[in-house]
Amino acid sequence: MLFKSIGNILKIAEKKALKRESIIQTALQLFSTNGFHKTTIPDIASKLQMSVGNLYNYFSSKDILAQEIIKYTSEALGKKIREVNRTEATAEEKIHQIVTVYFSMAKEKPEMIEYFLRVYLSNREVFSDGCEGMVCVSGFITEIMIFFDDCVSSGELRNQDFFSAFGLFMGYLGGMVFLKGEDVLPKEIEFYIDDISRNIYHALKA
Amino acid sequence: MLCSTKPKLLWLQAITCNGNAHSFLNHPELFSILSHYDIIYHPILESKYSLKDVIEKILPCDVLILEGSYIESGFLKGGMEVSKVIDRYAKKATHIITAGTCATFGGIFKQKDPENISGFGFDIEEQTKRYDIYASKLISLPGCPIHPKWLSYILLMIVNNNKVVLDNLHRPVELYGYTVHTGCTRNEYFEWKIDTKNFGLKEGYLFYEQGCQGPYTRGSCNKILWNDTSSKTRVGTPCFGCTEPTFPQISLFKTKTNMGIPANMPLGVPRRAYLTLTGVVKSFKIKRFSEKLLEYDK
Amino acid sequence: MKKIQIKQLIEKIEGEAELDFTFNDGAVEDVKINFGFYRGIEEILRGKAARDALVITPRVCGICNHSHLIAAVRAIENGYENSGLSIELSSKAKDIREFTLSCELIQNHIKWFYLTILPELEALLNEKSGEKHGLKASYFSSIITKSLAIFGGQWPHSSYTVPGGVTCDPTYMDVMQAESLLDEFIQFFEQVVIGIPIDKYLDITSVSSIYEIGGDFARVLQLMGMNDMANIGHSHDRFIVFGDCILSQPGKSMITKVFNVDVAYAEESVQVGTKAKAVTYKQKFYEVGPLARAMVSKEPIIKSLHKCYKDSLLTRVFARVHEIAQLLKYSKNLLRDLKIDEPSCILDPHHKLYEFEGTGVVEAARGSLIHRTTVSNGLISNYEIITPTQWNLSNGTKESLGIAQKGMIGLNDIELAEFVFKSFDVCSVCTTK
Repeated sequence: MLFKSIGNILKIAEKKALKRESIIQTALQLFSTNGFHKTTIPDIASKLQMSVGNLYNYFSSKDILAQEIIKYTSEALGKKIREVNRTEATAEEKIHQIVTVYFSMAKEKPEMIEYFLRVYLSNREVFSDGCEGMVCVSGFITEIMIFFDDCVSSGELRNQDFFSAFGLFMGYLGGMVFLKGEDVLPKEIEFYIDDISRNIYHALKA
Repeated sequence: MLCSTKPKLLWLQAITCNGNAHSFLNHPELFSILSHYDIIYHPILESKYSLKDVIEKILPCDVLILEGSYIESGFLKGGMEVSKVIDRYAKKATHIITAGTCATFGGIFKQKDPENISGFGFDIEEQTKRYDIYASKLISLPGCPIHPKWLSYILLMIVNNNKVVLDNLHRPVELYGYTVHTGCTRNEYFEWKIDTKNFGLKEGYLFYEQGCQGPYTRGSCNKILWNDTSSKTRVGTPCFGCTEPTFPQISLFKTKTNMGIPANMPLGVPRRAYLTLTGVVKSFKIKRFSEKLLEYDK
Repeated sequence: MKKIQIKQLIEKIEGEAELDFTFNDGAVEDVKINFGFYRGIEEILRGKAARDALVITPRVCGICNHSHLIAAVRAIENGYENSGLSIELSSKAKDIREFTLSCELIQNHIKWFYLTILPELEALLNEKSGEKHGLKASYFSSIITKSLAIFGGQWPHSSYTVPGGVTCDPTYMDVMQAESLLDEFIQFFEQVVIGIPIDKYLDITSVSSIYEIGGDFARVLQLMGMNDMANIGHSHDRFIVFGDCILSQPGKSMITKVFNVDVAYAEESVQVGTKAKAVTYKQKFYEVGPLARAMVSKEPIIKSLHKCYKDSLLTRVFARVHEIAQLLKYSKNLLRDLKIDEPSCILDPHHKLYEFEGTGVVEAARGSLIHRTTVSNGLISNYEIITPTQWNLSNGTKESLGIAQKGMIGLNDIELAEFVFKSFDVCSVCTTK
């Protein structure tokens, strides 16, 4: 009797988690296609065929949903970079892998990077209460810090201020993805991985 | 009380500055501690025998306190190699206490001749050839110098016949199970990652820029205060990690960072955990911590 | 002409030394002071960051480590100034440094008095009192070092001074606690050491009033007086002080005339048969320490004693105990006038000075202590330490004897010679470094 009810509780929890994730992914899609301000909670609910009231059970406001999405995408990207950090590769190889991860995500899940550039960076007021500073992107930032720490202590990258290096790396990648979003890049984004990785490595190496 | 029932204490010095001996003299209950022992020889206090006797004769010895780094040959006192004198009494003693980082791991003076100078039982963290012979009696009390109460703790445990719990480097866990960070008055600033702008300020934590090694140094300096009153970090001086086998490192007043990230993490804390926590905490601006603690009317 | 050679191991002098005596017809004809081992701190310092000297140099010595700290920070500050950076320490930082330094000197002298002078004098003259002198030494020492630790964090081996000031930022609470401890020391000092109130003691300016002193000090003076110790232990009557402190300004005193000095002329030289280096000023040996400070500053009571007894064993011992009283009084004033609302450290931590040379001088317990640092590329390329005991214990020649050497020549008792030697307050670890 007891096992059955525990099994049920677990099943319900799993279902809830999947539902939560599908809300996030749907919202991501709609935000990136139609824009943040034009998309409403009812829009998202109707796409998922759920009631608005039910959606509010998962996310109590559109701002809260926006913040949870940034944490989710940050975690997703952070997870991939953590895998790169865990390898025994050289700094040069890791840079190549990180650029590949970033551009792959830009290609396969463009809504994620789009969201970061167009929603998060452009609507700071939505995120000012609950996502102060770098709180919500810490999943991603932490992995970049660990990457830098490893490569400086191994002597491969030059020791310097964190933000100087971070700005160079992420500004470059974000800029390329932005250009892709504007449909300005003549070639597919994978084409640029080698050159960009080489540029970053040469700029940062010891 | 019959002298013959008290354990016999012998304090021998090798390559040392005498800092541990002088630190011990500051113990507020020094004479009551020593009253439990029969002092065969001490380098500063009056003792039963002279150093000449210690070197030339074979005196009784139950508890041997060693101060100073060890060298096999090239250091003579009264015509005899110090290492031979130490060896003679180490064999007789039931307890060997290495008082200070020099005697325990090698310390500062090891750097003069790293090949030949080491601690008595350990050469930095590796066991010396004496370790296997004396391990069962060895107690490590690293520190530069030792805190007087660390030594009195051992002396009283011996007298009371209590077993001292030791870690893998023979350090008593009651003393070295904490970090120097435990009890520092700047802990709140550490929690909220409020850096200090310079030396000489009451506010701010010293880990991020001033080279404080407190969070990853084993010791109890902020728990058992120095001179019964204070500690380095309480007066704004960074901890230099003097109890650790690696003491002294280089560039002691500056934190080593890789792209702004501290190269050493608090003891046992994984980098990811520390960085994630720091990232979160730095996002919040707590007004109280950015203000001066107190101001005097001019 | 019966010549005997005796090698005597001297212990309990912050390490050990060997006195190599040549007795001729029962009297000391010659004595060489030898040290068998050196630790090489000056070499260990090479290649380290400039400020690491603030942590490493105190480990030259367990009893005068604080003096090394102050000398080291002064050497760096002098180096910065020589490179064009102007450093104006706040009066608060200056006073705190002077206070902690005084505490160390007081601790040193009182330990020497109760752990060396009293017991050895009693043994020498067979006048055992049966008292546990060590108890007094320990009690006195723990109080005054506690007062030091309020600012320095700990003693021994504090590193609380940095270029530009100090790391501590004390409150009134801290200052008052330090004052109470100082008062406690003074009370005990009055009761036990001098037997009279400290102000009354400091009013004594003539030999004729010395009888007013009581306590353990009086006992030592009586024992020494009755055993002819005012007539032995004379050296060259040549004194030198390099540090600038409340006890004295820099200067050299030849008999009673005082002249200017320049620390650049202090020069070390290697000696045969010992690991200690000799040191001279313009090729001459000079005495450093409390007696030197008193002679250069013309301290009235010491002048008076000197008039009668020159630089005898008694004068030398008196001068060191006298300094305790002077320092106690001086320390009280320092704390009372401390300006706690001034900044503790005035130097910007982000200046970039990687090439400099500087000299730091301190009046340590045993005399002038000199640190010379040469920094290149931010790292120490050379570091020289000249300790006070080196001055007093340099071995000379028959024509030009060293300071302590001269004091022992002519004595016909080896234990008495040892006592004269120890009256210089020898620090073996400092001498060899």
